[in-house]
Amino acid sequence: MTFRERLIATIRAARPVLESPGVLVVGSEVPNLLEQGAAATLVVSQDLDVGVPVGRHAALKERLGDLHGFEPSADEPSVWTPRSPELLELNFVGMDPAQDPAEAYVLEDDRLPLLVFGALSLLSRGAEIEIGGTRLALPRPAGLLLEKLVTDRTGEKGERDLLVALGVLATSAPEDLDELEKLYRRLRPELRHAVRSNLTILSLLAPRPGMPDPQPRRADVAGLLRRFEASETEAP
Amino acid sequence: MTAVHERRLRELRSRMLVRAFDHRQRRHARGVWFRLRRVLTFATEAYALPPDEAKRLLAEGHRPEPVGRELEPSRVILFVPAARVAKVASARRLAVRLSAEVLSAECLALVPFEAGVDAERGPSRAGRAGVRGLR
Repeated sequence: MTFRERLIATIRAARPVLESPGVLVVGSEVPNLLEQGAAATLVVSQDLDVGVPVGRHAALKERLGDLHGFEPSADEPSVWTPRSPELLELNFVGMDPAQDPAEAYVLEDDRLPLLVFGALSLLSRGAEIEIGGTRLALPRPAGLLLEKLVTDRTGEKGERDLLVALGVLATSAPEDLDELEKLYRRLRPELRHAVRSNLTILSLLAPRPGMPDPQPRRADVAGLLRRFEASETEAP
Repeated sequence: MTAVHERRLRELRSRMLVRAFDHRQRRHARGVWFRLRRVLTFATEAYALPPDEAKRLLAEGHRPEPVGRELEPSRVILFVPAARVAKVASARRLAVRLSAEVLSAECLALVPFEAGVDAERGPSRAGRAGVRGLR
């Protein structure tokens, strides 16, 4: 079974929650789904991140009973593990548009507690696509790109996240980059610096299997960094 | 709150504290790595040069990137057009990465991407002209 087939089977099995109002697919699978025909060639990941607006949490919970292909992990109930090896796991994360991008909190709940990551407040609803008979909503590329670049992670996970950002950059249109620049300017200086710093890390990453190759995109990354610097008053 | 959520929150908040510290210290030694990565980001190619070749390029007016002097021992890091580097027979091409080879090179010639960087003056002096239309 190919990775794409697993991804599509997962989307089909997760239909009850993915079609819940306000829910977005976020994270590493988005570049795969943004490819022509959801070709899923860019990123190999073992989970599907499901972004849940905190205001829609109650509505989503009502649909959990229809989620027959998964069960909550005993260790981390916001992660639902597949009952079949042919599916990816679901990782539910909270989104709160009022939250500071550098903060996080836990939305306590007996059935589906959520880690609410502030950086996800940068996401807004984008394209809707239909895959495997499921209509799902994706974030706008600009917000997703900025969320990946502003998120501070370390080590393997951090590098993979930056390569996800590269995957989004690879599928972005010029107008997405204009929107990205506007969003970037709204960040406070510390977060803008973090974005620029992450771009320099991304530019120097070595290629790795199953992820977008940074080498052919280094000129784009340099251009984006220069574009961000152009809006700064402080010297680099 | 589950133990996993508690741990992840604690780790995230720790990283935020470190990042805030990094930002406050960015003008000092803490920011050197960022500044070094930044000049490498603007380079499409990198070459290790013998010191005498670096001196020649300096004499021609190529200006050293300030971050080179922030390292100990200091390095000469220059942005040089590709055509000029091609004339340096002893230039040894390196992958543009934070590798041991790049970090140990006493003199580095960096070839800028065509757009947005003035090869004669390097990215630190390239002004504020943004690069539009990346695709």
